[in-house]
Amino acid sequence: MSLNVDRAGTAFSFKGGMLPMTVMELTSADPERIREQLAGKLSQAPAFFQHTPVVLSVEKLDEPHLALERICAVCRAHKLLPVAVRGGSDPVKQSAWALGLGWFPPQEPRSRNLESVASAVTEQERAEEVSPAPPGVAPVGSRIFRGTVRSGQQVSAPEGDLVVLGAVNAGSEVLAGGNVHVYGALRGRALAGIHGDREAGIFCHELHAELLSVAGNYKRLEDIDPQLLGKAVQVRLNDDQLTIGSLI
Amino acid sequence: MAKIIVVTSGKGGVGKTTSAAAIATGLALRGNKTVVIDFDVGLRNLDLIMGCERRVVYDLVNVIQGEAGLNQAMIRDKRVDNLYILPASQTRDKDALTSEGVEKVLDDLSRDFDYIICDSPAGIERGAQLAMYYADEAVVVTNPEVSSVRDSDRILGLLSAKTRRAEQKRDPVKEHLLITRYHPERVTYGDMLNLEDIREILSINLIGLIPESEAVLRASNQGVPVTHDQKSDAGQAYTDTVSRLLGEDVPLRFHEFQKKGLLSRVFGGGRR
Repeated sequence: MSLNVDRAGTAFSFKGGMLPMTVMELTSADPERIREQLAGKLSQAPAFFQHTPVVLSVEKLDEPHLALERICAVCRAHKLLPVAVRGGSDPVKQSAWALGLGWFPPQEPRSRNLESVASAVTEQERAEEVSPAPPGVAPVGSRIFRGTVRSGQQVSAPEGDLVVLGAVNAGSEVLAGGNVHVYGALRGRALAGIHGDREAGIFCHELHAELLSVAGNYKRLEDIDPQLLGKAVQVRLNDDQLTIGSLI
Repeated sequence: MAKIIVVTSGKGGVGKTTSAAAIATGLALRGNKTVVIDFDVGLRNLDLIMGCERRVVYDLVNVIQGEAGLNQAMIRDKRVDNLYILPASQTRDKDALTSEGVEKVLDDLSRDFDYIICDSPAGIERGAQLAMYYADEAVVVTNPEVSSVRDSDRILGLLSAKTRRAEQKRDPVKEHLLITRYHPERVTYGDMLNLEDIREILSINLIGLIPESEAVLRASNQGVPVTHDQKSDAGQAYTDTVSRLLGEDVPLRFHEFQKKGLLSRVFGGGRR
């Protein structure tokens, strides 16, 4: 590998990497409206706004010129760190560079497989699928999975609800941007609201889950009241505390 | 066209090779032309269980690499007509198996045989994936034990995703559950998972239940597949399993604990 390189002489090396990144999908170019909504979100989920790097996606905006500098200032004021801009016209690209931000080309529209036949999600697909949507955006793209989710498999609906018509076995993982419904025994890990939706819940007919998580707040099997095991339950988030109650 | 059945489990030591040998023997005894292939390159065992270790000249890797023909490598079973063994190589490693090579061997065998039994190595690596890739059916061998059940679950996931049938979106691999080393007494006392728990977790069709039996160890060491020992419970259970594989409806046996009566305790009517 780098045997011939004088170690003292190398100051750095370039490495490819895929980091989790929050994309802030702008549907309005008005900095004031963004400010108002960010303030609301900040009070709901203060933990999320800790100098979180975000990519500003302007693909849904149809405006050649943007008050990019003001939008960035609003974000920074709410402890979000814009690091790059995605999409937009050539002037947008130029002003992003002028502001010291990176620029990404618009995302290729990807056909979504609502009911994927191949159930095992490979690591590559997973990295692709779990590109986070901005918190609080109404989930679309729910997914129904028929059959048993087996150990080692991961089934996700990153931008909607996930419905599993079968069991989720130990050693497997089900994830959703919205709610997770399991119409069988839940023995694996279930994560709802993976992009921070605190209203999301987990619903199952037989609770034996290894891990339950809503918007990053989790409980391990050990933390779950043994009386609830095997019961039909719903899992919700109340004041940063996961609560498990009977389903009906 | 032959039916290709992989005997697999994920976990090691649960009885894959014993089961592959017993099932292949059972199918041949019922008049089906059968070949059983050892995919466990580097840890060859099937030849011992089949009692043909002294007759191995060429092996699967030789065939794949073109160093020997199929007919040179296959060993004809001494006890049953219609039964052949294709041993694994003990000196190579699993990288010696190529996907194209395995496909060609299976295609060639398919023309002559009714059943091809693939004895998978443990694990989920290349050897195991190649053994299952071309399968039409799978016998998933599971012990009544949590780790074995979880590994079987993992294998079932791979069967539904990483096989030729899955990739070509044909009918999925037909999955069968074979529970081995079942000890009804210990299940009663809660030392082992019971049959219903295993079936519920894995939710696939049960093809057979083999009780823990001294006959299995004896058969392995003598190199006689346990199917030949029809006096033993395990031998009978494998015969039942083969009948079910052939589509017959056979009631389940050996799954209930029978308390020993006084007489059998005195005269030592052990489970033989």
